[in-house]
Amino acid sequence: MPDISRRDMLKWLAAGLGVLGGGWFLRACGLRPERTPVPPRPTGTPVPPTALPTAAPTPPPGEPTPTPAPTATPTATPLPIPDLAVARGGEPAALVRRAVAALGGMERFVRPGDDVIVKPNICVAYHGYEYAATTNPWVVSELVRLCLEAGAGRVRVMDSPFGGSAEQAYAISGIREQVEAAGGTMEIMTSFKFVPADMSMALDLRSCDIYEDVLNADVVISVPIAKHHNLARLTLGMKNLMGVIRDRPAIHRNVGQRLADLTARIRPALTVVDAVRILTANGPTGGNLADVRQLDTIIASPDIVAADAFAGTLFGLRPDELEYVRAAAAMGLGRMDLEGLRIAEV
Amino acid sequence: MPTPRINRRVWPHLRRAVQYLALLLFLILFIWSRRGGWPAEVVNLPMRLDPLAMLAHLIASRTLLAGSALALITVGLTLLLGRAWCGWLCPLGTLLDLFSFRRLRGKRAAPADGWRRVKHVVLLIILSAALFTNLTLLALDPLTLLFRTLSASVWPAVDQLVTAVETALYRGVPLLRPAVSAFDQVVRPVVLPTEPAFYRFTALYAAVLLGIIALNVIASRFWCRYLCPLGALLGLLSKVGLVRRQVNSSCNACGACARVCPTGTIRADKAYASDPAECTMCLDCLAACPQQAIAFPARFKPAAREAYDPGRRQVLVGLGAAVAGVGLFRANVLARRDHPHLIRPPGARENDLLDKCIRCGECSRACPTSAIQPALSEAGLEGLWTPVLVPRIGYCDYSCHNCGQVCPVQAIPPLSLEEKRSQVIGWAYIDERRCIPWADFEPCIVCEEMCPVPDKAIVLEEVDVLSPDGQPVHVQRPRVVRERCIGCGICEYKCPVNGEAAIRVVVPGRDQA
Repeated sequence: MPDISRRDMLKWLAAGLGVLGGGWFLRACGLRPERTPVPPRPTGTPVPPTALPTAAPTPPPGEPTPTPAPTATPTATPLPIPDLAVARGGEPAALVRRAVAALGGMERFVRPGDDVIVKPNICVAYHGYEYAATTNPWVVSELVRLCLEAGAGRVRVMDSPFGGSAEQAYAISGIREQVEAAGGTMEIMTSFKFVPADMSMALDLRSCDIYEDVLNADVVISVPIAKHHNLARLTLGMKNLMGVIRDRPAIHRNVGQRLADLTARIRPALTVVDAVRILTANGPTGGNLADVRQLDTIIASPDIVAADAFAGTLFGLRPDELEYVRAAAAMGLGRMDLEGLRIAEV
Repeated sequence: MPTPRINRRVWPHLRRAVQYLALLLFLILFIWSRRGGWPAEVVNLPMRLDPLAMLAHLIASRTLLAGSALALITVGLTLLLGRAWCGWLCPLGTLLDLFSFRRLRGKRAAPADGWRRVKHVVLLIILSAALFTNLTLLALDPLTLLFRTLSASVWPAVDQLVTAVETALYRGVPLLRPAVSAFDQVVRPVVLPTEPAFYRFTALYAAVLLGIIALNVIASRFWCRYLCPLGALLGLLSKVGLVRRQVNSSCNACGACARVCPTGTIRADKAYASDPAECTMCLDCLAACPQQAIAFPARFKPAAREAYDPGRRQVLVGLGAAVAGVGLFRANVLARRDHPHLIRPPGARENDLLDKCIRCGECSRACPTSAIQPALSEAGLEGLWTPVLVPRIGYCDYSCHNCGQVCPVQAIPPLSLEEKRSQVIGWAYIDERRCIPWADFEPCIVCEEMCPVPDKAIVLEEVDVLSPDGQPVHVQRPRVVRERCIGCGICEYKCPVNGEAAIRVVVPGRDQA
């Protein structure tokens, strides 16, 4: 080994610190400022869905919505786009396709080149998807496929489980296999990417470390599985966002308002509630097939509050019985008046 | 026929290559034992090649395990080639060669040969204690010692350092972000934990290893010469080993061989002959001899007895020390009444762990949440460095049964995942004086939420009570359903109450049928 004199060592140490300090300085110059929170994408020129919720008969679903030719006059009044789409009966992937198509297609949410994060619920590594503790793998992979078809630059899928390792949970839930087959990437959420987020819009949760990539992504899609939870009553789209923060116990106090605060910060562009199989008791971990009910239902909406409010009815709960739905609606994050919503049953 | 000079010079290089390969293999198996994916029989191979651990386990447990027959490979190797294990394969030996401190040591004379006895006494204590079903001193086996140090101090420290560097680069140098992120995604799942792994007494294990390395300053391979019980066992076998070092008549007593011998067994006063029990077959002398006076022929006659070889006196000392030690350990109250927090890995409690555990630390390493820790005080001195589950550090993962699979001696029984999921390892108790809904009248259901048992071993009692200021409040109070609780400890691990959790797992309260 060559001898290094003390002087040389100090020189190298100074050079190393200089590089680090320089990097710090450049960062301070704001090479890439954190995106300020913005409301969900405006629904600018929505693509009219092929099938409108006119009558009971189910329209021919399953295939991707062909993008209709733009109308001659762009100022023509747009056809009413539903606030929320519910697809019932069929294979999980087809349900997702129908529901998203009814909302105007994924092109409404994802622009070419976008960096998309799909956030399913992969909370434990204990059981396969049949136990309804984790989101249905085909629901997740179909969303990945739709995003890629819409031209997304990359689609990453991630969650940080509380029981078992992420690697194992990704495998056991079956989500890794399906997502990778669809062309998406599973990311293991790593500790150094949680950063303090600007929580100035929050009413109660004034500080929160959030996964930086979620803050910086162009599009975040929340894909919860609808299931029982004793504190929040149900875990749905808003509760699903807890997976991207560092200090989850902090949410357990004043859970309704704090979940609304978190939602106000992340603002997913789209929420797709997996109610293919729902867990009606002993959530969120599950493990007993007797607690699982198969509904073959997918709820999709750009309005996370409306999606959660509607999903609650599957369990016989009124929207106002979910504290976080009330809190979020009060903050103007979405609507909980299901009677006033345009709901497409497809 | 004299061997050509060039050939002799190659031997030490070849040996070093083999040493590094063996060390690398040891490290790879170490890394994979946490990661999973490789069969347990592959991962725990080094321990099963260790004849000292396997022999002591055989004596103490009075059970013959087919898997431990692998140690016969090492025995055979030793009967053929002497202590080649020590010179060519032992990962600790290689580490000691890497940090030999030749310059620091200078020309200092090594301690007298009589000290070589110490390792024989250690060996005799281990084997005598094993007769009394005690395996405490296997903690001094070189493989278990190195493995435990890597697992409980080196690896968590490396993880902390890597994470700190990653964080600094990721935050500090925006240009490097994609690179750091990609590095983390590739390296972490293979080598490092996703959640930081914590161990108790990390510095202690490091200090023991550093101490052993530092002893090189007194004499090269000090550990192997004077202390190592595995070296002592292999040395005794080497006395009847086939291939041995021999000095022929062309020796001109230049002393080159004695100067390079790492274990100092080549002695001028014995015409540069050596003791095969101390020779690690490193072949440095073969390369160093200018006279080509050294050869390694096969011989059947046992080697001569040395003054430091164990005799009646050492056997009696070993036996006496073992009897006294075992007596004192067994008189400790912990041998009769369990320490309340001595939670053993699934199935181990019912399985006479102390008679079987070789202290290798494979279970602790394989535990994905680092819940299994080497015991320091919970099990008394007798149970030093046996596995104990510490729920505040990690929980027993409901989807994992690695510890029983990877245990080389079935001290932790190889339960199937289904069996493990219903194996009771402890009982959870709520501390109602500190539990948030009980004591503070505020909502918290974390323990219930986390409970992995399908029907929930923690249920919530809905009650309307008056808070201390007289306000009526509705609270959900957690309660443990005794017959459902398996003691996995995730409730204690996740309990948001600072410091000691408000729900704690202790040893099962009553003996189970």
